[in-house]
Amino acid sequence: MRAFEYLSPKTLEAASAAVRTAPEGARIIAGGQDLLGELKERIATPGRVVSLKAVPGLRGIREESGSLRIGALATVQEVAESPLVREKAPALAEAATSVGTPQIRALGTVGGNLCQRPRCWYYRLADFPCLKKGGGTCFAVEGDSRYHAILGGGPCHIVHPSDLAVALVALDASVEVVGAKGRRTIPIADLYALPAVDASRETTLAPDEIVAEVSVPAGARSAFRKFREKLSLDFAVVAAAVALGPKGPRVALGGVAPVPWRSREAEAALGAKPVTAESAAAAATAALAPAKPLKNNRYKVPLACAVLRRTILAAAGVADPGPPAPPATPAPTKKAGEDF
Amino acid sequence: MKRVRRSQVEIEGKLRERTEVVEEDPSPPWDDRARLRVAGRPHPRLDGRAKASGAAIYTQDVGLPGMLHARILRSPHACARVLSVDASAALALDGVRAVLTQENAAAIPWYGGTTRLLERTVRYAGDEVAVVAAEDEETAEDALHLIRVRYARRRPVLDPGTAPRGGKPSVYTRGNARKAVSGAPVVVAGSYRTPAALHQAFETHGSVARWEGEHLTVWDSTQHIFGVRKELAAALGLPLHRVRVISTFMGGGFGAKNECGKYTVFAALLARRTGRPVRCLLTRAEESLAAGCRHATVQTLRLGARRDGRLLGIEHRSLCDVGAYGTDGPMPVGGPARTLYRCAAVRTEEVPVRTNTGPHTAFRAPGYVEGTFALERAMDRVAEACGLDPLEVRLRNYSPGDPRGFRYTRKGLRECYRIGAARIGWRRRARLGRRGTSLRGLGLASQVWPAGGAPPSHAVVKVNPDATAEVLIGTQDIGTGTRTVLAQIAAEELSLRARDVTVLLGDTGAGPYSLLSAGSLTTASAGPAVRAAARDARQQLEELATGLARGKGGRPGPREVCREIGDAMVIGRGARGPNPEGLKACSFGAHFAEVEVDAETGEVRIVRYVAVHEVGRVVNPLTASSQVEGGVLMGIGFALLERRIEDPATGRGIAVDLLDYKLPTALDLPPIEVLFVPGADPRATTIGAKGLGEPPIIAAPAAIANAVAHAVGADLPELPLTPDRVLEAIARGRRAP
Ligand SMILES: Cc1cc2nc3c(=O)[nH]c(=O)nc-3n(C[C@H](O)[C@H](O)[C@H](O)COP(=O)(O)OP(=O)(O)OC[C@H]3O[C@@H](n4cnc5c(N)ncnc54)[C@H](O)[C@@H]3O)c2cc1C
Repeated sequence: MRAFEYLSPKTLEAASAAVRTAPEGARIIAGGQDLLGELKERIATPGRVVSLKAVPGLRGIREESGSLRIGALATVQEVAESPLVREKAPALAEAATSVGTPQIRALGTVGGNLCQRPRCWYYRLADFPCLKKGGGTCFAVEGDSRYHAILGGGPCHIVHPSDLAVALVALDASVEVVGAKGRRTIPIADLYALPAVDASRETTLAPDEIVAEVSVPAGARSAFRKFREKLSLDFAVVAAAVALGPKGPRVALGGVAPVPWRSREAEAALGAKPVTAESAAAAATAALAPAKPLKNNRYKVPLACAVLRRTILAAAGVADPGPPAPPATPAPTKKAGEDF
Repeated sequence: MKRVRRSQVEIEGKLRERTEVVEEDPSPPWDDRARLRVAGRPHPRLDGRAKASGAAIYTQDVGLPGMLHARILRSPHACARVLSVDASAALALDGVRAVLTQENAAAIPWYGGTTRLLERTVRYAGDEVAVVAAEDEETAEDALHLIRVRYARRRPVLDPGTAPRGGKPSVYTRGNARKAVSGAPVVVAGSYRTPAALHQAFETHGSVARWEGEHLTVWDSTQHIFGVRKELAAALGLPLHRVRVISTFMGGGFGAKNECGKYTVFAALLARRTGRPVRCLLTRAEESLAAGCRHATVQTLRLGARRDGRLLGIEHRSLCDVGAYGTDGPMPVGGPARTLYRCAAVRTEEVPVRTNTGPHTAFRAPGYVEGTFALERAMDRVAEACGLDPLEVRLRNYSPGDPRGFRYTRKGLRECYRIGAARIGWRRRARLGRRGTSLRGLGLASQVWPAGGAPPSHAVVKVNPDATAEVLIGTQDIGTGTRTVLAQIAAEELSLRARDVTVLLGDTGAGPYSLLSAGSLTTASAGPAVRAAARDARQQLEELATGLARGKGGRPGPREVCREIGDAMVIGRGARGPNPEGLKACSFGAHFAEVEVDAETGEVRIVRYVAVHEVGRVVNPLTASSQVEGGVLMGIGFALLERRIEDPATGRGIAVDLLDYKLPTALDLPPIEVLFVPGADPRATTIGAKGLGEPPIIAAPAAIANAVAHAVGADLPELPLTPDRVLEAIARGRRAP
């Protein structure tokens, strides 16, 4: 890891200024669960690291005029365990519970989780000068793309790693950020942008902008489901969050796109009518209709379809009768085992 | 008395002729009538507290005054020629003490002489190019980034299908298999693939080296202290008595630590150059790139059978991707096909091919895990083709002896089947089916593994004046519980409690030679040696008791003898006797898995798991059970999750941490029911025990794959069974009539 200067200012404004004025680049550190890995691999080589730990008032979870307000430094574990979140935004509590391991949940923060960098193996290895690191190639296209994007990809094909973001997009949350121009509040979906806009980053934040708080409308019926290959220490292969609020259904998918993916197709398919087994299946199919898998991740399409269908039913409290017809399956590809 | 004979030994599944020095062991074997108090009973690990509290010193924990830290620069290219290495900037960095490159390091032959310690040609992404020693790890790491290397890249060979041969194929035949299969009324043919898998021991490979004058001491995380001593001495041109290798506590090896590593030689060379102790430990990423793997296989298999399920012929051919170097030839992938079933016509062929990937090494039951998966999958298909239950097909092909023409000391596989089938409720199998999106399946697989141990192994037992004892033996405890088991064995002979015995192992300077801890050898090799030494000590004590017998007081007990003779202590000596001639000692097992497959997502959940083994006497049921649980865990990983992944374009490893290389976690494991067939195998060893190191992993992937195949109604030709493959199999199952 490259040596760096470590600062721990007492206000967000000072922290933002410390980032802005750093001569050789700076990064914010919260729980460090993600940043330390990047520093050790030398994916990030800032001359300055600015901690948020000394800034007061960033930790709590409270309810205020119909919204849950969650400080950027609240830990993932605090979100998972909060009775308030469990009752008023269950999808978020479920998403938090599914994160990493107990150790990671204990240290990882909400702000850090939303701003964490992708887990794409080409991005995480210094030997691959990929688009996201300022290089000219997305190695996933010709390389191993089994965990990469099936929606919204190109020119970079990462999937966004945050589970909390998926739940928050479905819950129609907003984020308060502090930067050079003061405070602004943006819908969570606007926090993220596709690589087509700028492949080097995932968020729309200016480098000196800091997430201060997340605000979540309370009370919508919601659910979050995550498919992973292991039950602990594994990012989502596919995740889904669904909220059935007063403004209609909101559907988000994780693990499938470079941003937490809001599916307006699925929302339209569900419409304003009560959810049924048929409408859930139709919505899931609609959500995946625009999918464009890469070489190795075709399987994610039926997987995402299944996970989304189940999440919709769970949010609506409708019993799962199983998939309607035979579930969608990937077109058979000839495998070595069929040679005989 | 020692004498010499020619004999056949089977180590790690490979049958070898060798000249053996035989030292007869007069101990009468502990058979089923032996009344044992300590051996054969559960005993908590004697070092459990030290390990759990952090008091145990592993190689990673060794810190010496003035110690430097070494880090290795590795090639990012899978195939290249190193044109130049410029280390001047690294050497100029504050805190850097030395840099080894091909220019200044001795040209020590490596990988069986196919390359040298640091070579101009690099053959896989991860091959060693230079080594830095610095005051701390961070400085050493910084220095690596300052070394300028110019490479001339070449196109790497990555596809085993088109890769060149990497040595001679290994061929076995009995009867005319091709004819037998082709003429059979039932023929099952298939191609099965298994991935390269990583050992991922929790303690990464590493050594600490210290010179005191002409004497070199090395702390090493190894499965073979004497082997490392021999190889290291040869590499450095030292006589054996000036090299001492210590491995007191060891955090797992699984076959990847059977030999001396380059890092050990680097540490020793840098320590000599700098006059300071040097520690060279691999990072997790290096562990994933350059510390060995289970080699990938592509197996083609044809079974011919009669309509009643009886096998007529087996043809098995495996392509083994041994990687860039892999000097130990292909692993015995055909072992199960050769020995598991009665079949007159068998041909197996293991073909090594060479790719520009990390070299393979032994890995817990090398070859057998992969070969059992293919064979047992195919046996289920024979059962299906004949309309028989899978267990019935196995019983119809049961071979009481080794079908290559040897008798076994004992074979308890039939009991394993019986006990396991009853426990899991095998008879429910036909009734399992679909509930909603949940598909249920039951599968089983069988296991054979040569596990009788072998000489040479020597031990010394010192009896103290307070009637406690110390065992000196040059074996190592690689985490299996050897220390505890050997203490139990000595305590049994000496009529002591296990905790009255201290076992001093893992130090070539302290104990006499014992074999490497691999191939399920240790208990069956070191155990009898310790018993013989303890028995020798006991006999000496008994003789002294006769001498000390006073008229009225009568004959003193062992405790009194010890006290009376005081520091004129009794020292017992023993050696592992020869294996019985003409008999083979193998461990057997049968595993049963019940799975639930999600038809919509391809997720596989193991809901029940029963592992039954016959290993002769179980010396310590507690450590044995944890051995089985660990093996099953590893087998589950191989079945469902694990695989080394290279970028298909560059050949670089891309799943090099424990996030991307997916090991099962506690949450992923079903309850594992561990059962043993009771009874000793006194013809195998004098303690009646056989080995258990590898058996528990062998059948696990096959049992799970068979259960999943049963659930989805289609074959599963490739491990691991990831959702994409399971979904694809479900689709095939649905299309099938
Ligand atoms: C092994 C492992 C497994 C994981 N599994 C999951 C998982 O399953 N699901 C999941 O969602 N996440 C997972 N994570 C991610 C983990 O939850 C995040 O790393 C963690 O939440 C980041 O929080 P942190 O406070 O440690 O962030 P840090 O590491 O301190 O920061 C992460 C990034 O965000 C920036 N940052 C931090 N705080 C702010 C802020 N307030 N405003 C602006 N930028 C900020 C930093 O500059 C940095 O780039 C996993 C991580 C690891 C290491």
